[in-house]
Amino acid sequence: MADLLTTVAILFLAAGPFLLVANRFRLPTVPLLIVAGLVAGIFVEEEATLELAQYGIALLVFWFGVRIRLEAVRMVLSDSEAAALLQIVIVGSLGTGLGLLLGVPLEESLYLGIAAALSSTIVGKFLVQAEIQRKVLRARLAESIHFVQDLIAVILLLVLGAGALALDPIATQLGYGVLFLIGAVLVNRYVFDLLGRLAGDSSELMIVGAISILVLFIGAARLADVSIVVGAFAAGLAIRHDRERYLDLFNGIESIKDFFVAIFFITIGALVVVPTPDKLLLVAGLVVLTAIVKPAVTAAALIHRGYEGRSAVLTSFSIDQVSEFALIIAIQALVLGYLSPLVFDAIILAAAITMITSSLSQRYGERLYRALAERNLVRGRHGIIDALSRVPDDMADHVVIVGYGRQGRRVVEACRACGQGYVVMENDPSLRSAVRENCDAFVIGDALEPYSWEKARAGSARLVLCTVPYEPMSRFILEQELEAHVILSSRDVETALELMEAGALYVVVSDLLAGEQLVTFVSRIVSGEITPETLREERVAALGS
Amino acid sequence: MIFTVDLAIILLSAALFGLVARQTGQPTIIGYIVAGVVIGPAVFGLLEVGTLTETISRMGLAFLLFLLGIKMRLEEVRHVLAPVVRISIPQMLLVALAGGGIALALGFGGIEALIIALAVMYSSTAVVIKMLNDRDEATSLHGKIDVGVLLVQDVVVVILLAVLAAGRPESIAEVAVTLAVVLGLVALISVAALLASRYVLPSLFRRIAGNRDVFFLISISWAFLFILVSSEINVLLAPFGVEAYLSIEMGAFLAGLAIAQLPYSKELQERVNPLTDLFVMVFFVTVALDLEGTELLFYWQEALITVLLLMPAKFLIFFVLIRWQKFDVETTFLGSITMIQVSEFGIILGVAALAGGFVGEEVLGYLTLVALLTMAISVYFIEYSRPLHARLAPLLKRWDTEGGFEAGKREYRDHAVVIGYDKVTRNALPLLAEHYDDVVIVDRRVDHIKALEQEGYKAIYGDFRNATIRKAAALKRAAFVLSSSVEVDVNRALLREIASDAVVFVEAEQVQDARELYANGAHCVILSAHLAGERLAEYLSTYLNDLGEFERVVEADAELLADVAPLPRIHDKMVGGLDG
Repeated sequence: MADLLTTVAILFLAAGPFLLVANRFRLPTVPLLIVAGLVAGIFVEEEATLELAQYGIALLVFWFGVRIRLEAVRMVLSDSEAAALLQIVIVGSLGTGLGLLLGVPLEESLYLGIAAALSSTIVGKFLVQAEIQRKVLRARLAESIHFVQDLIAVILLLVLGAGALALDPIATQLGYGVLFLIGAVLVNRYVFDLLGRLAGDSSELMIVGAISILVLFIGAARLADVSIVVGAFAAGLAIRHDRERYLDLFNGIESIKDFFVAIFFITIGALVVVPTPDKLLLVAGLVVLTAIVKPAVTAAALIHRGYEGRSAVLTSFSIDQVSEFALIIAIQALVLGYLSPLVFDAIILAAAITMITSSLSQRYGERLYRALAERNLVRGRHGIIDALSRVPDDMADHVVIVGYGRQGRRVVEACRACGQGYVVMENDPSLRSAVRENCDAFVIGDALEPYSWEKARAGSARLVLCTVPYEPMSRFILEQELEAHVILSSRDVETALELMEAGALYVVVSDLLAGEQLVTFVSRIVSGEITPETLREERVAALGS
Repeated sequence: MIFTVDLAIILLSAALFGLVARQTGQPTIIGYIVAGVVIGPAVFGLLEVGTLTETISRMGLAFLLFLLGIKMRLEEVRHVLAPVVRISIPQMLLVALAGGGIALALGFGGIEALIIALAVMYSSTAVVIKMLNDRDEATSLHGKIDVGVLLVQDVVVVILLAVLAAGRPESIAEVAVTLAVVLGLVALISVAALLASRYVLPSLFRRIAGNRDVFFLISISWAFLFILVSSEINVLLAPFGVEAYLSIEMGAFLAGLAIAQLPYSKELQERVNPLTDLFVMVFFVTVALDLEGTELLFYWQEALITVLLLMPAKFLIFFVLIRWQKFDVETTFLGSITMIQVSEFGIILGVAALAGGFVGEEVLGYLTLVALLTMAISVYFIEYSRPLHARLAPLLKRWDTEGGFEAGKREYRDHAVVIGYDKVTRNALPLLAEHYDDVVIVDRRVDHIKALEQEGYKAIYGDFRNATIRKAAALKRAAFVLSSSVEVDVNRALLREIASDAVVFVEAEQVQDARELYANGAHCVILSAHLAGERLAEYLSTYLNDLGEFERVVEADAELLADVAPLPRIHDKMVGGLDG
């Protein structure tokens, strides 16, 4: 056997060029790492790195546990869980059916179903970063669907660890799962802070300690004969903590995770052998299911629940790929001998392909949606907008206020003070009740949906005032060719100037305002006009109550 | 699923002994070495080292040197190069003489004494660099001297290992050829690394610096490229009929050196550091894992005597030589006290000598024991080197003449630190530059860093969440801190770390965050969303009540918007039309 260090070096060398490709075309790194593995597989014996890859799996799941936010669990309950579950059942059955159709035995076909049904959080997060930051509804929907799927994946790993799908062993496994959760809570509550105290300010010891906890949980999982992934997940929960307080610890674990996870994805690619026709058929089937059928089913389910067509379709474009958890499930099954190399290879290849196509569908999502909408393929229902909104039929000469955040609220106050009629347009579910309680007239809907503007009677409005500094939205508003004056917001000066050129009456650039304020206060401090303490008192008073 | 048990045991014991060491005020390295002794065959014999563990421990050493390379900016080390060579060659000769002499006096045979002499002349890269890193002294003047000497020693080790691997050398000429080949290869790879750092890496890293994952993994690939070339150099050169060896540590160091010349090294240090810590820990634990207790302790009395004699001898030799190169007494003292241990290479050399049939297992045990003991003891000397120096300062005074070398790095004090260059903070920079000697800006974008450096500001590339970056900006000594981050946890961490009399401006998104930040000590919290809301409301009222006035104000604003100077010099203009 070649030297292990040499093997690892070759894996990383193979990854280099593909990472550059990922960076150049703004693609997620995961599929490119898998492709790098396909290449590296020619030169190395992947058996050698399989063990290192296991650490990658453990750390990946560990990290999922570490990063879980309990609020997220709660939020999901109110959002889209039904759509997520429905989608998993339908696509999962279709995937299984595909396998059976192509002559794959039932036990293995189930894995195909899993691969088709689950979507990748890593890739999804990468693709909707900007939207997550802007707290756009569909980013939240996608996030929570991913989250539900990841949880299901962990449960599947627990159940599948039982080997046979009989009731007794599954019950035992679930029992162990509960025990691990209890263990995690106990460690989190009592051991972790003790570790923090003992390690003092040594982040090195904290990291060694945290990884030791991971190793202990994995060891316990092996003793109990459950999947190590379950142990790793529980360990993650056990470490889960205030990121700010243990900043160095979590940054450190993240680096270690990134290193081993990269090895995992490359190794998984290296495990794939030359495709045969029947394998390619399976791959094609999986890709169609994942990249076309899955988003279609999801979009339909969301629309059925009353979401606007645009939100539903764009959300479904964030989940049209195979999950990294599906890869973990597949490799575990392969190692345990439940899965033939044929099906395994098909899953890996389909994952690499759909992770790349998913970036494309995300990038051109808006255009795809428009094309679909124009051909009347997506008929969004207005049910939710109509039911939730309240706009008097005779509303005219009013101000349409887009966004009911802090700025929107201030603007509403100003309207009221002047006795001016207004309609608020807002889409964030978490703001719905505030809008309903505080506003006289409002539209609950996406400002990028034409129907929302129809509903807001924008045609007879006097002024449109958009408080959301999102350029596509600004452009969309200007494209409506309304009679009304338009005041917009922008993050940067260049866009602001362009928008004014394009017809906006005025564009607010909040950073410019903040810059003005900053200069004023800094100069007062450095010139000695005011002491820092007085400034603080003054500013706290200005915040009001 | 296969998971090696040995790695798990190593981790757990390291965590356990590490924490115990920490609690009893010992350096963590000691905890690791003791853990290795306890779980190893000398005490419990819990495990044998598997391939994976061995690989990780080798990667640990390689990453340690890579990390070190990343820290070495050539302009900062160039001035110590010549003295380092002048120190290291006589140092190795003298230490070898001392070690050989001691061995002969203790009754070892001629060949044995020769091997011992060759094995003890190096200081431990792992211990010294780990300690220097932990103490943030790797780029101090004495740190640079020590690192330089260690690298020269590394070259010599590689040559010796090559010679030993070939069996008993037939002639001096053969040794000379090996020496020439190794030096030639090191020179070749250095040149390749430096050329890359000038012509290839800048544009490459500029493209990937914005992508956290790609940046990290590409850097690792870069390191592995050099590691691979070094470890396989023999295979690569075999077709040319040349037999040559290089240490992977040397390769990793040169890979790091190439990156160090770019503005991204601080960020990368922070990412590589945890991996290195973890892997080097495995190295320290496994150092003592190979030997049976009986072999290890066969010559224990001789080993003790050697330790007692050799460490002072090493210190003296270093002291005299460094001082001879006209470094000031403090640097000389710190540089010497750091280097008094015997290297892990001594053990490796012993293994090679055993394989070559030069010595027996007992001598290897003796060498291992000497290395372990000197490493452990030296860690304390390094840990307490500064108090020790303060204590001995009166004694050392008579050697103190004018030092020829100045430490290159100036420390920031009472300066302004600005976190994030953006549309908001850029406005305040000229104002701050007028009032503070140094304005240090931390930012994650290369184009910003470049633009700022051109404007004469001190700019650091990296993420402020990282301790290294905060240290580099000397946050603790800043008099004024301005943070453009709206993340409350970042600002909270910042407020905890700064000096109590520093003035702090931060940004926030939510009013309740602002309240909390004020309560935690911020003097001014800029709420840009809040401001925009106020402005929108004012403008809306004006629009509704007096359209003429509105149009006048908007026109004035548009003019201000069109002014795109990167750093607005006229802050008086920065006043909104309706303000005041």
